[in-house]
Amino acid sequence: MITFEGVTKRYPGGTVAVDALDLDIPDGKTMVLVGPSGCGKTTSLRMINRLIEPSQGRILLDGRDIAQTEASQLRRGIGYVIQQTGLFPHRTIVDNIATVPLLNGWHKARARNRARDLMDLVGLDPAMARRYPYQLSGGQQQRVGVARALAADPPVLLMDEPFSAVDPIVRATLQDELIRLQAELHKTVVLVTHDVEEAIKVGDQVAVFYPHGKIAQIDSPQQLLGTPADDYVANFLGFDRGIRRLAFFAAAGLDLGTGTVLSEDATIEDARQAAKRAGESWVLVTSPDRLPRGWAPLAELESRDGHETVGQLTLAPYGHTFRVGQDSLRAALDATVLSRTGLAVGVDAEGHVVGVTSYERLRAAIQAAEEAADREGARTS
Amino acid sequence: MTWAWANRDQLAHLLVSHLYLALMPVLFGIVVSIPVGIMCVRYRWTWPPILSLTSIFYALPSLALFSVLIDYTGLTDWTVIIPLTLFSLSVLIPSVVDGLRSVPPPVRQAATAMGFGALRQVVQVELPLAIPIIIAGLRVATVSSISLVSVGQLIGIGGLGYLFTDGEQRDFPTEIYTGLILIVILAFLADGLLVLVRRWLTPWERARSARDRRRVFSAAWHGSRPEGAT
Repeated sequence: MITFEGVTKRYPGGTVAVDALDLDIPDGKTMVLVGPSGCGKTTSLRMINRLIEPSQGRILLDGRDIAQTEASQLRRGIGYVIQQTGLFPHRTIVDNIATVPLLNGWHKARARNRARDLMDLVGLDPAMARRYPYQLSGGQQQRVGVARALAADPPVLLMDEPFSAVDPIVRATLQDELIRLQAELHKTVVLVTHDVEEAIKVGDQVAVFYPHGKIAQIDSPQQLLGTPADDYVANFLGFDRGIRRLAFFAAAGLDLGTGTVLSEDATIEDARQAAKRAGESWVLVTSPDRLPRGWAPLAELESRDGHETVGQLTLAPYGHTFRVGQDSLRAALDATVLSRTGLAVGVDAEGHVVGVTSYERLRAAIQAAEEAADREGARTS
Repeated sequence: MTWAWANRDQLAHLLVSHLYLALMPVLFGIVVSIPVGIMCVRYRWTWPPILSLTSIFYALPSLALFSVLIDYTGLTDWTVIIPLTLFSLSVLIPSVVDGLRSVPPPVRQAATAMGFGALRQVVQVELPLAIPIIIAGLRVATVSSISLVSVGQLIGIGGLGYLFTDGEQRDFPTEIYTGLILIVILAFLADGLLVLVRRWLTPWERARSARDRRRVFSAAWHGSRPEGAT
């Protein structure tokens, strides 16, 4: 647990970068500090490893005032990743990663073995071990930066705009990697970014800063999107909040329709009956092992001989599917919006049809999820 | 050539003495300028006065120094080595300072954040990265020193410079040319050796310079400055 107690940073000349900040950063979670330039988020981060000393207040790490620990000793227990990577140009990748273990007095061979394990952990090709940072791409350098920060297995990891300097595709990959690593390692991560999407994507908790060193709101991304504390936070989060929030609700909560899902060997008469019972104007035709084939319109079913099978019809493409177990309501909604039938196909991990959505079913699921979130919010606050 | 071959023993002796007189000042220079340079970067206020001092060393006429020093050190090698050391400091201290300042701020910050102590950071991170610039200064200091030793001949201690005054007195140009050629060869060899030392000490620079050449070219072509250029 990292605790800020009334921490203020005032620079000579009167600029106040951080203003009486109180903040609890829980263990094993990712806390994102987000805000516009000059809001004090980076200053707050750098006070945790004493790169900057507060003018007032104190910071506790597991209940101990960090000012009481010798700075370099404190820093060896806190991983640090920065935007420009700060890799040592004169050291090979493996030696860059081995830096802190070596500082801690490990033998070179042991430190390098550890470094190679970390290269594996962050997805770096072992062939890069003997190369120099200049020979790597920006994304690879950033992975080295993360590996180096993790080398001594510190409980705390500070990340200062770690993914801002790479292109959007690499950035998304690195964010996914961070989420994967964090699920495995459970570090106390403090990440600074100006990118609110990044904050929502990687944060367990997000602290939104006002422009001048004060925090506007600290909440889970889902709570933040659902109930921003004020107009500033709402504006900062940007539009589409409601839709983006659906990304935090599992599609598993959807009550999918199965009545209009028919195997291709079903008769047209059966299909007609099914559509009418469900009050739908489309039925979904699947293969006998329930892989989606396409949509058949009720109008077509009514114009054909009832003894034919639905497999003989010309089917409309079934469009984008969503995975019921993994995807969110946002993906289900997206698939539904994109489908020209206004219905979307939910599949399981192997691609077999679980059922179909409709706007009605989505509306009910969203409402239920919102209510559950409200109850959750009421309980925690 | 015949003359040079016939006098090879004397030439070898002068050569060794010349090298000694030229390289001792550079050696002292580097030993002094590294800690002084580190101090100037760490305590910024010390840099302006030290920079002024090095400019004075640079401007001091060697002849004046010889006549002052001769009262204290007499006709010994020190009378030549001390002025040349001061001269080499005027080149080396600024290169050490420039070299240390060329370390990218994120690298320095990352080193601090990883828990390097101040001294360890200088020795293990900043000095290695300053090597290319320090060696550039060392090359200038070494070549200048090799050429300046002959001035010591004014007080009779000038290594190969002896060949100039002796050749002049005997009106024997071959001797003067021999001295000149030997000094130029020495300077070239010393310079080449330092280039090799730099390559050996900075293996990472090879990968980097290949990339930077491409980048500088592309930047020049597109009319922008390469990233990280100052």
